[in-house]
Amino acid sequence: MLRKILVKTFISIILIILYLPIVWMIVFSFTETPSFSDWSGFSFNNYINLFSGNGPNADKIQEALVNTLFVGFFVSLLSTVLGTLGAIGLHAMHNKRIKATYSTVNQIPLLNSEIVTAIALALVFNIFASMFRINDGSWGVTALKLILAQTTFCAPYVLLNVLPRLQKSDNKIYEAALDLGCTPAKAMFKVVLPDILPGVVVGALLSFTLSIDDFVITKVNVTSFETLSTLLYGLKNGKHPLPADIRALFTIIFFIVFALMMILYKPKTAKEKH
Amino acid sequence: MFKKCMAIPYALFMALFVLLPLALVLVFAFIDASDGSFDMIANFKELAKEQALGKVISNSLIAGLSTSALCLLIGYPIAYFLTKPEFNRKGVMIGLFLAPMWVNFLLRMMATKAVFNVLGFKMGMGAVIFGLTYEYLPFMIMPLYNTILKIDKSYIEGASDLGATPTRAFWKITLPLSMPGIISGLTMVLIPSITTFAVTEIMSNGKMMLLGDFIYSLKADSLNMAAAISFVLLIFMGISMFISNKYADGGSKGGGIC
Repeated sequence: MLRKILVKTFISIILIILYLPIVWMIVFSFTETPSFSDWSGFSFNNYINLFSGNGPNADKIQEALVNTLFVGFFVSLLSTVLGTLGAIGLHAMHNKRIKATYSTVNQIPLLNSEIVTAIALALVFNIFASMFRINDGSWGVTALKLILAQTTFCAPYVLLNVLPRLQKSDNKIYEAALDLGCTPAKAMFKVVLPDILPGVVVGALLSFTLSIDDFVITKVNVTSFETLSTLLYGLKNGKHPLPADIRALFTIIFFIVFALMMILYKPKTAKEKH
Repeated sequence: MFKKCMAIPYALFMALFVLLPLALVLVFAFIDASDGSFDMIANFKELAKEQALGKVISNSLIAGLSTSALCLLIGYPIAYFLTKPEFNRKGVMIGLFLAPMWVNFLLRMMATKAVFNVLGFKMGMGAVIFGLTYEYLPFMIMPLYNTILKIDKSYIEGASDLGATPTRAFWKITLPLSMPGIISGLTMVLIPSITTFAVTEIMSNGKMMLLGDFIYSLKADSLNMAAAISFVLLIFMGISMFISNKYADGGSKGGGIC
């Protein structure tokens, strides 16, 4: 009994430490004080300012939000297409060596240090820019660079989420569809895709979340605009690192991401381990 | 055949944006930026001249090792107890421990800094280690939890039938069998924590740099030098990948969710 209480206390203390800063930020998103310490009365003004565009950082926030969502959407789209196609192709391969190489290369971006990936991508972009004489200061080029850069670490997650679905599905149905006169493309959309759809959707949402969240690779490769992460980084040296409207913005994002993860995340527990 | 061809677009993408960049790191690491000639040691000589580097390396070692040790000391008991259903009903608890991974780490660090300011804690090495432990704890808990969950309970029952106390059974059976998870966790904490970027800057008020911050600061002057130090890191990454492929299991990053 005593052991149980001690363990529960230990687990609770660590959880409290983990969530204290986040909860503190959420609580202080409902008051307008610039600092984190003096409560100046409950209000929704931070949220109202955010949506009406009146806050001190409103213009910057709205611009960064648009950029982030734009990049996130296309990263999610590109990663989902590439990762799903890659998973189907990988699953159909027979040559063990090619298969192993394909999955190893897929793992590299997940295991490599982010800063090394970022520098490596910067080298490639520099070379492409000078080869094709691209002015990499423009909005479009920056967006394209970020979409390509972030896809390198999002597509692997899509592949890893789709692959188990393929392994569970029955290839005979696809073959039957072909025998009955379906074109391969049609069979793909009518038979394979519905079967693996849950994995594809999880991959897409995961890519979107990872993209909005990314900082290191974005910061190194961004040339002309701010995303939410780089905007946040720009505020780090201020006397009050998290101004009121930023707190409100990130409280909203926190709840969206948290809700998504609670839906997507299915933990393994002792009962269902086999 | 049709299905196999679907592997091609992603293969091309990986060749262009995963393999080619890494190949360029190798090439640029050995090209002297001043005259563009091939030179095995020019960039490394320049690096050795950087006064800050010694301090960066010693700081990185202190911060990286302390963070790994703390993550293991806190993460192991948590992972261990959470594998018991009495502490982790329906897997909610483990979910709560892993969820902070999905909250922007800059935001968590800046919120922590703000809380530290309010509480009057000093920013510096201690705060940096706190921040890094905060960020990487879930990456330690995840593989440990998956590994300990897989340990066959009958071994422990067998040990206690043969007269071992629960403590002895833990040291002789559970701990050795969770080694793969420990190694996997350490590979996911040690190098990433040293090469992280921005955490140190935020948690030390810009007074300290770890390898990640140092590489970023080099990027502005010389991509070649950044490539040279990235090359060294790649070697360490390779070693750590090799070790974890050989001995570890229980949670490559990709297995982290769903």
